Amino acid sequence: MYKLVLCWRYLLTRYLALVCIVSVMLGVATLIVVNSVMTGFSTKLKDRLHGLLSDIDVEATTFHGIDHPDEKIERIRRDPFLAERIEAMTPMMEVFAMLQFEINGETILKPVRLIGVDAQGRARLGGFAEYIENKDHRDPPSFQLREEALKVWERNQERERLLEREPFAPPPKDGLPPPAPPVPSDFKPKGIMIGHAIAHARIPVLDEHGKPVLKDGKPVTEERELIHPGDEVVLTTISGQRIEPVSFRGAVVDYIKTEMSEYDANYVYIALEDLQHLRTMHSRATSIQIKLKDYERDKGEVSKRLTEMFPSCVVSTWEQKQGPLLAAISIEKGILNLLLFMIIGVAGFGILAIFSMIVVEKTRDIGVLKALGASNGGVMKIFLGYGLLLGLVGALLGTGLGVAFTVYINQIEKKLTDWTGQEIFDRSVYYFKDIPTDIQASNVLLIVLGAVSIAVVFSIMPALRAAMLHPVRALRYE
Amino acid sequence: MLLSAVNLHKTYRKNAVVVPVLGGLDLTVHSGEFLSIVGASGSGKSTLLHLLGTLDRPDEGRIYLEGRRIDNVPAKQRDELRNRTFGFIFQFYHLLPELTALENVLMPLMIEQSVFGWWSRRRELRQRGAELLERVGLGPRLKHKPSELSGGEMQRAAIARALVNRPRVLLADEPTGNLDADTGAEIVRLLRDLNHQEGLTIVMVTHNLDLVAETDRVVRLVSGRVEEAQPLPAVHAGAD
Repeated sequence: MYKLVLCWRYLLTRYLALVCIVSVMLGVATLIVVNSVMTGFSTKLKDRLHGLLSDIDVEATTFHGIDHPDEKIERIRRDPFLAERIEAMTPMMEVFAMLQFEINGETILKPVRLIGVDAQGRARLGGFAEYIENKDHRDPPSFQLREEALKVWERNQERERLLEREPFAPPPKDGLPPPAPPVPSDFKPKGIMIGHAIAHARIPVLDEHGKPVLKDGKPVTEERELIHPGDEVVLTTISGQRIEPVSFRGAVVDYIKTEMSEYDANYVYIALEDLQHLRTMHSRATSIQIKLKDYERDKGEVSKRLTEMFPSCVVSTWEQKQGPLLAAISIEKGILNLLLFMIIGVAGFGILAIFSMIVVEKTRDIGVLKALGASNGGVMKIFLGYGLLLGLVGALLGTGLGVAFTVYINQIEKKLTDWTGQEIFDRSVYYFKDIPTDIQASNVLLIVLGAVSIAVVFSIMPALRAAMLHPVRALRYE
Repeated sequence: MLLSAVNLHKTYRKNAVVVPVLGGLDLTVHSGEFLSIVGASGSGKSTLLHLLGTLDRPDEGRIYLEGRRIDNVPAKQRDELRNRTFGFIFQFYHLLPELTALENVLMPLMIEQSVFGWWSRRRELRQRGAELLERVGLGPRLKHKPSELSGGEMQRAAIARALVNRPRVLLADEPTGNLDADTGAEIVRLLRDLNHQEGLTIVMVTHNLDLVAETDRVVRLVSGRVEEAQPLPAVHAGAD
C-alpha cells in the first residue's frame, strides 16, 4: 500500500518528473500522428492501386499474346469453382506507344502505355469508368465521340482544310465561280481517352505586360488544358506480327483522372478492337483481367486454379504486380517508426537521469522507509511503479494529443499555411484533396505499450540503486 | 531480559581507512526498562542502537530478542522486526515531506498491510493513527505536512509513528539533539510517560546528561565498550 501512496505522491509533488511526462507525451503523440498519416497514405494508395488494377491478371508470356481470350473467359466461367468466386472478367491489350499531338503548331511527342479495353467490360471490373473526368460520360463508358467533342473535331478538320487552300486562288479561266467545297462525310474518328496529366500542364500566369505574376517571390501557376476533347492525336506503336511501327490517328474523347501521377501522366486508352486491328492481333489479347467477389478470401485459391488451367500464362494478383511499390511503402513506414521510437528512447534516457537525481534526493527517505520495515524489493517497486506511472500518464496524454492532432490535421495544416504563407501539403503532388489519415487502434496500443515499457525499463537502474542503499548510510546522508 | 547483545564488534571501512567502533560490547535490556546510553561523540552509541534494531549487522557477536537470535536472520525477518517489534525515533525526525502528519504516522501500517488489507481496515487503522497523534498533542495537526510543523511537533509525530504498530522496544537516537532544552525535556517526559503508563521498553541514546534523570538506568560507552552501568548520581560524577 505504501508503494502506491508514495508513487502517487511523488507524481504530484516532483515537478522535475513533469519533464519526463512531457517528453513521453510528445514522443507518443508524434508517433501516433506520423503512423496515422503514413497508414492513411498507404491505405489510400493501396485503395487507389487496387481500384485501378484488376484483382487478378492472367498474362501472356510471349509476344504473340493470348489466343481467343473470349474462349478462355468462357472456359473459366464453366469451371464451377471459379464461377462461384469470380465476379467479372474482360480481355485487355497493353503495349508501349508514342503519343503525338500539336500545341500552338508545335508537335509534342510523349511515350505512353497504350491500353486497349472493352469500355463496358472494363467498367464491370471497376477502376475505369469512375475515373472518367466528365461524370456524364461514365455510364455507360464509351470511346465514341460525344457531340461537343465531335464539333471540336469537325472545326479542327475545317480549319485544316482552309489552311491547306491557297489564300488567293487565281480566277478560273472559264470565268465560272470556283467549285463548292466537298460535303463533310459521316466519318467519325476513333475515340481515345488520355490521362489527365498528359492533357494538362501548370503554366505560369502572365500579367498584361506578358511577365509572370509572382506571389511571395514565386511565380503563380494555373492548370491549362493543352489537349481538348475533340483534338486529334496520333499513336504509334508496334505491330503484333513483326517488329515494325504502326500508327493510329484518333480524337480525344475524355480524360482519365485517377489522382495517381503514374497513371494520369502515362496511360492512354482506346477500344480493344481498334488496338487489335492496329496491331493485326485480331482475337488476341495480352491479358485477361479478373475481379473476384471476395478478394481477400479467394485470391490464393483462384490464382492457383488459374495457374493450373493456363500453365503458359503468368497469373498474378494486383499486390504481386505492385509488390515493389507496396514493399517500399512498408519499408519507409518501418524505418520511420524505428527512427521515431528513438525519440521515446531519448525520453527514456531523460527518465534515467531524472530518476537517478530523485533517488539521490530521496536517499534519507529511503533509509527511513527501511528503518520502518520496508524491504529492498518494496523500495525498488516504488521507483519502478513511479516509472510506470510516469510512462502511463505521458502515454495517455500523448495519445490524446496525437489523436486530436490527427483528427484535425487538415484544419491545422490550413491554419499553418495561412500563418506562414508556405504550402505545407502540396495537393498537386499527390492529387489528394486532404492529408489522408488512418488511426488504427492496434498501432496506438503498440505505441502506448512501447512508451510505457521504455519508461519502466529506464527506471530499473535507479530503482535498483535505491533498493541497494544501506539503511544506516542512507539515514546519515547529507 | 528482553534484548541482549553479546560480544558485539563493528568496524567501518572507507577505502584503506579502518575505523573500529564497537570492540566486544555486552549489553542487556530488561523488559519495561527505560535505558539511556551515553558517551562521547564517536563512542559507538548510534552504531549500537542500529545493531540492536537490525538496521545494521555486527561483524562479530550476537543479538537476542526474548532469547531468539536476531542478528543473523534473513532480510525479510529483519524487515518485519523493524516494522512490528522495534520503533525508531531519530535526531532529525525523518518524516517523509510529501505526506501529512497522519500519513507519516500510518506509514509502518501501510508497509505492513497489503493493498487489500489496508483497504479493508483503513478506517480502523486511520483511527489508531489519529488517536496516537492526539495522545502526543497533535490532534489538530493531522493534515499538516512536516514543513508546517515545528521541531518539537515533528518529533512528537515521529514518536507517534514509532508507536503505531505497538512495538516491543522503542529505539531513540538522540531524540532531543535538534531541539531546544525545554522542548527536549518535554519529549523525554513524553517518553517517560509512555514507559511508565504502558510499560514500553525504551532505549535512548543521548549525549545530554541532563535528560538521563528521567530514565531508569544509564549505560556509558567508552571506545566501543560498556564501561559501566551506573545509577544516576554517579553518571553526573563521571561526566565531571
